[in-house]
Amino acid sequence: MSDPRLPFFDRRTFFRTTTAIAGAAVMPRILAISPAMAQAGSTMVIAAPATPQSLDCNFDVSLGTFEAIGALYDGLLGFEKIPDPGVPDARREDISFHPELPGGVNMVGKLAESWELDPSGTRVVFKLREGVMSNWGNELTAEDVRWTWNRAFELGALGAFYTAVSGLTSPDDVRVEDKYVVSFNTQSPNPLLLKIHTNLYTPVYDSTKCKEVGGTDDPWARKFIENDSAGFGPYRLQQLTRGQQAVFAARDDYYGGKPAIDTVVFREVPTSAARVQLLQGGAVDIAQYLQPLEIISLQRVPNVVVETVPASFMIWIELNAKMAPFDNVDVRRAMNFAFPQQQVLETVYQGLASPLDGCMPNIYPGFAGEFFEYEYDPAKAKELLAGAGFADGFTTSLSYNAGDPVQEPIAIIYQSALREIGVELELKKVPAGSFYNMVTERGQPMIFYVDSPWCPDPGYSLTLYFDSKSYVNYSNYANAEVDRLIAETAATADEAARLDMMRQAQEIIMREAPWVFVAYPNYTMARKADIEGWTYYTSNNIRFQDFNRA
Amino acid sequence: MAQRTSATRIAEPEPPAAAGGSGRLAFFLALLRARPSYALGYIIVGVVVLLAVLAPWVAPFDPVRASPADFLKPPGWPYLMGTDATGMDIFSRVIHAPRIDLAIALAGTLISAVVGSALGAAAGYYQTQRGVGAFASGFVMRAADVLQAFPVFVFAIAVVAVLGQSLQSIVIAVAFVNTPIYLRLMRSQVLAIRRMRYVEAAYIAGVSDLQILTRHVVTNAMAPILAQLSVNIGWAILLTAALSFIGAGVEAPTPEWGSMIAMGYQSIITGHWWPSIFPGLALALTVFGFALIGSSVEVLADPARRRALAGELEARRRLRLQARAAGAGA
Repeated sequence: MSDPRLPFFDRRTFFRTTTAIAGAAVMPRILAISPAMAQAGSTMVIAAPATPQSLDCNFDVSLGTFEAIGALYDGLLGFEKIPDPGVPDARREDISFHPELPGGVNMVGKLAESWELDPSGTRVVFKLREGVMSNWGNELTAEDVRWTWNRAFELGALGAFYTAVSGLTSPDDVRVEDKYVVSFNTQSPNPLLLKIHTNLYTPVYDSTKCKEVGGTDDPWARKFIENDSAGFGPYRLQQLTRGQQAVFAARDDYYGGKPAIDTVVFREVPTSAARVQLLQGGAVDIAQYLQPLEIISLQRVPNVVVETVPASFMIWIELNAKMAPFDNVDVRRAMNFAFPQQQVLETVYQGLASPLDGCMPNIYPGFAGEFFEYEYDPAKAKELLAGAGFADGFTTSLSYNAGDPVQEPIAIIYQSALREIGVELELKKVPAGSFYNMVTERGQPMIFYVDSPWCPDPGYSLTLYFDSKSYVNYSNYANAEVDRLIAETAATADEAARLDMMRQAQEIIMREAPWVFVAYPNYTMARKADIEGWTYYTSNNIRFQDFNRA
Repeated sequence: MAQRTSATRIAEPEPPAAAGGSGRLAFFLALLRARPSYALGYIIVGVVVLLAVLAPWVAPFDPVRASPADFLKPPGWPYLMGTDATGMDIFSRVIHAPRIDLAIALAGTLISAVVGSALGAAAGYYQTQRGVGAFASGFVMRAADVLQAFPVFVFAIAVVAVLGQSLQSIVIAVAFVNTPIYLRLMRSQVLAIRRMRYVEAAYIAGVSDLQILTRHVVTNAMAPILAQLSVNIGWAILLTAALSFIGAGVEAPTPEWGSMIAMGYQSIITGHWWPSIFPGLALALTVFGFALIGSSVEVLADPARRRALAGELEARRRLRLQARAAGAGA
């Protein structure tokens, strides 16, 4: 019998009920996290800045997505791995130019067992491995490869970029020759026809599963791929709670053998200082994306190993060539002479970066570093400004990403340095969430950008940032000669001729300085001492299948 | 009876002893002697204001000049509070910061006090009348309810997000979130005062609404507003610093305590505590100082408490005299 004096739903009952409901909702999460944190021998916990947003690599380029794609999917080819020359325990891809090999690239088959590049450079034929199963138990066939590239054609977005750089013009260019044989055909010779299949973002989907779940409403299974996976990679997705964690389970039936680490817990820990503490305290095995000072401090911590290698990352400041005064080449050159690059490297990067002395990664074949002339020289900068009609300087603004802790100190140091040549720099802090949009709008006179071209090829790199038609050319740079060299490089398979043309393009670009050249930040792995097997990839992500616990 | 009490509380004339200018000062000084914590508040705020005014002459370095060669130097000489990650002198920045923080807080709080009091006075005065006045009064009060329903900080972030990041936006945000406080305070005072006989007399004598409000009502309702003002300035400094801490406040490298804490807190884990601890201490001390001043103003502005205090001070004086007399007698 209830107390007749109390209303039907009195305050006490209300609190009791809501507390019970809240408790029931939170408990499973707590229980789900604790076994992961207990760290069984074959479980690896990673503290990352973000969990994957979408698992569809046709649309998403966020940090956690890279790791997820590398675990859930495989592509046709991969680079051969070699020991890193600087870090004995680490390995890296052999991306150097091998004239004796087909396409000049040292590759190994992943989903492809063998491949044959036509001497004309317009056709490549892949023979797939037989008996390779997806995480849904469907066997890999040539139809899966055809469907995957059809999807890229139909959905556009990032897929459109990959079809374009590989010279494919229609879905018919990818042909099923046999159950396990597929060919890629282009109109003119394309140097990336083979290399593009080593890219993290050209994985092969299980088309049988995708067709089954998508039906006629969603023929390309967008909804499914966004939240789950249908691939031939070493892991399957066990749980994805965005903003909290993603859990990956090793596949017993992976064609390359079951990975050594059974379960990978990928936890979102947004602040880098907290990631450092978790690694120091032993709660996680790997802490990703740390700040230079944190990396230095971790080097003194027992049972933690910090390894740092030259990477394909580049950080620069876009000088908007369509906005005055940066439409003037001499002003852009002056901005580079006034940039205290060495001080920035020592202060902000603590030596964990090298000077950006070119317009593509210096670890890639075809890089030409000899055209960099912008040693810090304020007198020369002043002279150039005077020549350009800005003897009294000018006022402009620099936008930086609030989510990247190195950008603010670089901006402040640059601001102080520019005052010496009469340039007043206003700093604009942009929230991480809207920063990328601001870059793509191309409406700022100066804005930071961090990127890395994933395909270790000069043609690919220069096309991305300096072709006047490229979407990623955020500095609005346009030079007819550079455009011509890029177009010709894309249409020849003669590697020596390509390298020569790309050298000429780099000379022009470096002279015309569409960027303020900042740094090549290193890639750093901070891990517990018993986690082994790290390999550095030019896509700057880790692949869980490489690791094992000593 | 209740009405009389509240009227007495509000319209009580100054105690005779403290009527003159020198008498007021003597009373104030006696209060500070009796309550040293209040004196501490005035000293802290006095020093902060002095440093803010003199900063350009006192600061040993340019507060926005990066000197990368000297980055993250620990406190010592010549960098008294050390340098931050870009080599800027923290001491120079800490003493320049109140120029921004105090200016924003003062401007924002004053605007909110003026706007809030004006609206509150009108809302209170017209509430009991019929027609448009009562409707408008109700509308203003409900609008204030809506504004106060949001958490202050979230609301301030929203205001800055809508207006765009600038000093003016932060001033407006501070003014916006504080206006309802003054609105309610003034309205409650006016509601009580407007029932007083002298107000009714003025009304019957044909004095205009505006004159009654400005001459007879608002002037008698200012005391609690002034007390609220000094407390609010402290809060406003905290709000300004908090907005800058999350990146919605002033632009780097403007010297401002909140943004300095934000720039430095990541280095605490690597053992570099000084870039954020010193501005944090300065911020805490200043807010503390304003809170103490607020308490003292509350006492000074409340006739009942003032009378009680005057009695206490007088009793203490007598005790001292008696003790002295007894000592002399012995």
